[in-house]
Amino acid sequence: MTIEQFTTEFETARNHLKSYILRITASVEDTEDIVQDTFIKASGKLDTFRAESTVKTWIFTIASNIAKDNLRAKKRWTENVTDICKAKALANPNYFPEVMAINQTSPHGQFEMKEHITFCLTCISKSLPLEQQICMLLKEIYDFKVFEIVEILQSTEPMVKYYLHTSRSKMVNIFEGRCALINKEGVCHQCSELNGIFNPKQNFEEEKNKVEFVKKANDPNREHLLDLRFNIMKEIDPFNSNGSDLQLHHIQHNRDVMENYFEKSDK
Amino acid sequence: MTTVTSNGKALTTKKTFSRETAVSIDIQADKSIIWALLTNANDFPRWNSTVISIEGTIAKGEMIKLKAKLDPKRVFKLKIKEFEAENRLAWGDAMGNRVFTLKSIGNNLTNFTMVEKIGGPLFPLFAKMIPPFDEAFQQYAKDLKNEAETISKTK
Repeated sequence: MTIEQFTTEFETARNHLKSYILRITASVEDTEDIVQDTFIKASGKLDTFRAESTVKTWIFTIASNIAKDNLRAKKRWTENVTDICKAKALANPNYFPEVMAINQTSPHGQFEMKEHITFCLTCISKSLPLEQQICMLLKEIYDFKVFEIVEILQSTEPMVKYYLHTSRSKMVNIFEGRCALINKEGVCHQCSELNGIFNPKQNFEEEKNKVEFVKKANDPNREHLLDLRFNIMKEIDPFNSNGSDLQLHHIQHNRDVMENYFEKSDK
Repeated sequence: MTTVTSNGKALTTKKTFSRETAVSIDIQADKSIIWALLTNANDFPRWNSTVISIEGTIAKGEMIKLKAKLDPKRVFKLKIKEFEAENRLAWGDAMGNRVFTLKSIGNNLTNFTMVEKIGGPLFPLFAKMIPPFDEAFQQYAKDLKNEAETISKTK
């Protein structure tokens, strides 16, 4: 493979790679660094690419290893990350002026519920063990097959299956307990609260019923609701959407809050 | 050790100073999946209906705190005494030990056996206060089989 061929392949995979790394690291800066490091590392060892896998799988393997090294010393987030970060946002007098400024001045500052759902899925998935989060994203969002995930994670088929099943099961349970969009007893109402702030003239009931998994909230097949959530995430490029500036600000805020949260709890 | 058949039915052997309960079942899944289920402490309640919680890390020499539905008011503080990856796990306290063994017996087929022996010199004094384990053991084995086989079928 020539460097030109590789560069073409890399550019084709770039958007997916960026969104994948963002969803693992929750940091725009780290994402840019890891994507760049991946390109440099891969282009420096083109002669080692064996064509036993696709170039995309190979790129994701290198990127995943760099991301795992980046996150090795960091703690996983907690299931109630949205509660912790909401409390910090409310306690910060600068937070809402900042987000309102983004909303009012940026062409990518709109609040759309589907984008917030995607942001929430990212944050909650960071409460899974890293291997489980990676497997889940690779399969459910980026459509890699089990044998490809085995290669990316340098694991075995039984373990990848274990990670996939366990991650899905945990996510179903977490959303069942927390998300008021699918469970009246759910404790998290952020979608409705933020929609009320940013889109005060919208009828929230109408808006939420445009979301497939909300329309099917009474479906006894709760795994299916998770699949519908994944479908929303698949459609959204967090770096290039109507609300990407707003959501990237949220994600960076949450990362900063959680890093401080763990520093304080370690003392 | 009590010889038990792999039909998921528990067998209890009572002696004056000890009681041993065993269950064995064949599971259509790779050993590594079953081992992963048995050694992830905080994941237990999700798949195992007999366990309320396990705190700690399941690794050689570590201590865990286990709460079981059979006796929900008690917290069992157990030491991980043996940890032979994908083969044998043992934990216990002064009262007794529980041993888990996995054996590959065919194409993607694993035999799982769980044996608990409790006893000691004072055992006759409190033996009647300890509830029978048979039903809980059978449920444990059934839950493990269901979960491991479901995982094994993941595509």
